[in-house]
Amino acid sequence: MFTILVEKELKAILQSPKFVATFGVCSLLILLSVFIGIQEYHASVDQYETATQLVDQSLAEATSFFAMDNTVYRKPSPMQIFVSGVSFDVGRLSKISSREDVKLEQSLYSESPLFAVFRFVDFTFIVQVVLSLFAILFTFDAINGERERGTLKLALSNAIPRGQYLFAKFVGSWLGLTIPLLIPILIGVLLLMVLNVPMTGDDWAKLVALIGVSILYFTFFIALSLLVSSLTKRSSVSFLVLLVVWIMLVLIVPRGATMAAGQLVSVPTVAENESQKDRFRTDQQQLIREWRQEAWKNRFSALEGASREERRAYYDANKDEWDQEDRDVREEMELSVTEFNRKLNEDLRNAKLEQERLAFILSRFSPSSAYQLTAMNLGGTNTSIKKRYEDQMFAYRESFSSYLKTKQEEERAERRRQARQSASGGRMIMFLGSGGEAVDTSDMPKFVDPVESLSAVLKPSMIDFGLLSVFTVLAFAGAFVAFIRYDVR
Amino acid sequence: MFKLLLDKELKEIVGTTKFAVTFGVCAVLILLAFYVGARNYDVSRQEYEGAVVENMRQMEGLTDWGEIDHRIFLPPQPLAALVSGISNDIGRTIDIESRGELRAEDSRFNEDPIFAVFRFLDLEFIFTIVLSLFAILFGYDAINGEKERGTLALSFANPVPRDQYVLAKLVGSFLALVVPLMIPILIGCVMLPLLGVPMDGDSWIRLAMVIFAGVLYFGVFLTLSVFISAMTQHSSSSFLMLLVVWIFMVLIIPRASVLISGQAVDVPSVDQIDYEKSKYSRQLFSERMNGMQEFIQENRNNDDHAQFMADMQEFMGQQQDDFDAKMLVLTEQLNEQRNNKAARRQKFALALARISPTASFSLAAADLASTSLALRSSYMDAANSYQAAFAQFMQSKNADTQGFRFMRHGDDEVEEPEEIDLRELPAFTYEPPDVSDAIGASLPDLGLLLLFNIVFFAGAFVAFLKYDVR
Amino acid sequence: MEESNRMEEGTSAARNEAPLLEADGLTKVYEDGTLGLNKVSFTVHPGEIYAMLGGNGAGKTTTINLFLNFIEPTEGEARVDGIVTHKEPLKAKERLAFVSENVMLYPNFTAIQNLDFFAKLGGKKDYSKDDYRDVLMRVGLEEVAHSRRLKGYSKGMRQKCGIAIAILKDAPAILLDEPTAGLDPKAGREFIKLLEDLRSEQKAILMSTHDIFRAKDVADTIGIMNLGELVMQRSAEELRGEDLEKLYVQYMAGYMEKTPESVPHEEEPAIS
Repeated sequence: MFTILVEKELKAILQSPKFVATFGVCSLLILLSVFIGIQEYHASVDQYETATQLVDQSLAEATSFFAMDNTVYRKPSPMQIFVSGVSFDVGRLSKISSREDVKLEQSLYSESPLFAVFRFVDFTFIVQVVLSLFAILFTFDAINGERERGTLKLALSNAIPRGQYLFAKFVGSWLGLTIPLLIPILIGVLLLMVLNVPMTGDDWAKLVALIGVSILYFTFFIALSLLVSSLTKRSSVSFLVLLVVWIMLVLIVPRGATMAAGQLVSVPTVAENESQKDRFRTDQQQLIREWRQEAWKNRFSALEGASREERRAYYDANKDEWDQEDRDVREEMELSVTEFNRKLNEDLRNAKLEQERLAFILSRFSPSSAYQLTAMNLGGTNTSIKKRYEDQMFAYRESFSSYLKTKQEEERAERRRQARQSASGGRMIMFLGSGGEAVDTSDMPKFVDPVESLSAVLKPSMIDFGLLSVFTVLAFAGAFVAFIRYDVR
Repeated sequence: MFKLLLDKELKEIVGTTKFAVTFGVCAVLILLAFYVGARNYDVSRQEYEGAVVENMRQMEGLTDWGEIDHRIFLPPQPLAALVSGISNDIGRTIDIESRGELRAEDSRFNEDPIFAVFRFLDLEFIFTIVLSLFAILFGYDAINGEKERGTLALSFANPVPRDQYVLAKLVGSFLALVVPLMIPILIGCVMLPLLGVPMDGDSWIRLAMVIFAGVLYFGVFLTLSVFISAMTQHSSSSFLMLLVVWIFMVLIIPRASVLISGQAVDVPSVDQIDYEKSKYSRQLFSERMNGMQEFIQENRNNDDHAQFMADMQEFMGQQQDDFDAKMLVLTEQLNEQRNNKAARRQKFALALARISPTASFSLAAADLASTSLALRSSYMDAANSYQAAFAQFMQSKNADTQGFRFMRHGDDEVEEPEEIDLRELPAFTYEPPDVSDAIGASLPDLGLLLLFNIVFFAGAFVAFLKYDVR
Repeated sequence: MEESNRMEEGTSAARNEAPLLEADGLTKVYEDGTLGLNKVSFTVHPGEIYAMLGGNGAGKTTTINLFLNFIEPTEGEARVDGIVTHKEPLKAKERLAFVSENVMLYPNFTAIQNLDFFAKLGGKKDYSKDDYRDVLMRVGLEEVAHSRRLKGYSKGMRQKCGIAIAILKDAPAILLDEPTAGLDPKAGREFIKLLEDLRSEQKAILMSTHDIFRAKDVADTIGIMNLGELVMQRSAEELRGEDLEKLYVQYMAGYMEKTPESVPHEEEPAIS
């Protein structure tokens, strides 16, 4: 009995001309999105490689450790083919220097705003927007359409339990819609291999999870359509209701939630933050300046009334020690500035995290955003990408600066030696970073991209996965209850 | 006859539950968009003003113009709240130095990627997505639905001219849908000044034009729906077709065209250009250092301290100018190359995207709201001309924020310096392009929208004249 | 006896005047080459009811569509009051009222709103609400239903509205396409009564039907159509005493033997 019903459902879907048209469109879109995604990935890998090479080259050509700039780039991940997430909104690179903070800047969208005008279309977008509409299109009249055609009465005049009928309907539509969609998806996966996208084992696992979640999301819309269809008498009504619900779930709730969270949690602006940092630094510099004036005054106070030569001699004798003193104080200040900035950044980040958490909680009222969030999470292109990279870059900055410091120390000593040799007496004007020979940077620490372990990725996805399951089960249960009471006339 | 048909069309649309529900949803969304837009503007304005004040505050108490760390910020445009365009994607903050290339940083989406996840809910979004669906929902069965109900045959059993019938259909459904939509839009407009958005005459003109563009865009989808309805026999097939067309026009074509253009026209990355520049700059730097060493060697026996310092300053100033001039040439050359290519790509992408009326509408709306792609260049232009003014000012103050400054250790007397007066600093103002310019920029797109209207209108008209009413 | 007298009077009166509806060698070949109608000629005079009988695809609806100029004839002419329909469709339509099979009308309008719209479309602008109510009562729609939207109407109620619309137009000729489909027996009888009233108002009535018995009861002339041809045409008088059903089956069967191959298909309006 059950198989007969499922079979009928499959035939009804697969044989309809509507199916051929929409399925063609969906397949085309899925393949297009994957293909363009791969092209775009290759392009950004090229860009990334050129950029890092250029940095390496410029480091290799550097003639001094003093004027040394380092920049690290975010490495494109193959998963962004499927989920571009915020990867184009977040900066691609950060300067690494002991003077400046780590800050991701020059996002693709800000550098090429052309891309920002309409944004990208990726696999997740297709699933989220187009496939959900596709699911609705085939199931909005699942129950009431049968009633309108009179087939419902006819079917239920046989000895079929209603529950079984509904379940068969669900299974039939699910099979009829999901199995065909797996074809373009699998071809897309094949494209990955053909077009040489370097996928690691973890990436494959993430991709499988992503496809699983996509199917679950799709299933939710089938269940939802069944629910609405068994709550209404006419298919035109159920379609209208579903369309409104779709607009709300897919387009409005996610955006609305973010805006509501933005209104509810206040976050200090970047400008405020920056100026607080600058103020602290200026204050510190002022302190140093005052200290130094004082120090120099004290240092020479002993020589009140001494001759020029005496002063010179005194100065030369004590110079190294004083310089050391100056440097120590300066370093101390740098340290406190760094510490202050770090704390401030952390505060800002926490406030943002709080806002983000609220936004995501609110937006998860919609399965659509639950899906998007978990997809971005699986793709490693969620909002935490910024934190991950900045943390890693911060750590790198530490090791880079300490490396630089030792090297600068060495270079300074070397220069001083040279200067002593060449300039016998006279004025001391030191130019740092004016050598001719390139320095040896082979032992410079290298930046390693942060890698999320599979379990670390999957764990937060479980929440959304669970949420989607709950939504689906609820919708189906609702459909079940409604259908048991459905007036088949 | 025409009046009768028109009257029936109006009643038939407005009297339905479908209309009540969808119109209610649209009205709520439109009002929400205005409200959220106004609030958003408020937040951005506060941010902007806070940033400006902070920047000034932070420079307070400085005694040397050379020490100032001046920044300018992109002021939010009142209409950006309704048509965000690229205003959230481009950098807003620029560090101003007297020399060198300026770079805008801190785009809103980069600072708060959370907003980038789902982007904003603005009026333009409501128009492009929701209202186009709304138009389809009421136009898809305009002709074939009547046929399915048998009313078409019944009507044409009477002496009704077909042209009048279809004309009444088109005009009637347009009026029945657009006039009610004007209500929430007008309420939204009234809300704007009440919520503290400073709307001047120009802004009102811009907003009116945005709404006009929206109405044209709405008309495109309505006439298209009637057109397709007049070409098909069953309302279910016309709906399916329209939905597919909608997905392509609204969601796919604009995005795909940009991607295709990215593949078609290769634009050198910023990194490449940065590398070229830094390489050249390093080369020049070395030359300069050598020059300086020579200068010192030559003047090492000059015992006049003050004279030496003055000479040195002059020499280095000269060198700096030389350096700047050379860098400027290279930078301009590189930027021009990149900009030319980028412009070519942009032209290509937008031309392709304009196959879809959605793209035309988005571009026209962004032009009118001054949040189009031109926003970035016009902001940078303003910043550059400000830089010139700033540099002149700094020169007049004999201060230089870049290059070499001497930290003289020594026994010279330190005289108590005077605090600088920040009010002397030239103020930065960003004026968006004139209304007339904005309208001028949007005219091609408005024309395109109008053309779409005419084509679909004519299509619907002709298709209906041949329509099988049985 | 009385009945037959009255009928004779009607027919003789009709014969004296010029025919209102004339099919003159009507032929329709569809774009795909199928023959819809082959040289069909008949006339309907004022005060005459002409019933076309025939199976699905016989060409009945095609004939009516030709009179309404919904399709153009390949050969021949359909004339209304002497006006050739495909030459001056609008002028011809002024003289026509039409009841279609299973008309849905505007579901979101009330019966009165529907009537109002179509009456005005037919050029009758002076009717009052009471006129509408009267007509609706006349076709057998209860007063409570008059101001309800047609969404909740049954098939029969909608059909009654359709008939009311035709009555309101008060045109000299009335075309009825399967008017009794969807009517219950009581409504069917009332409808026959209504037709007789209309006949006495000197309307020329052309109806297509599957209902042999009703046709025999009410029609003055009966034509049997099969595969696009008018295979029999007799007046009620000539048919008196004959078994119409038997005749019908004979004609159909005879034709089927003649042309066993391809059954021309007529596009019945697909109303679901």
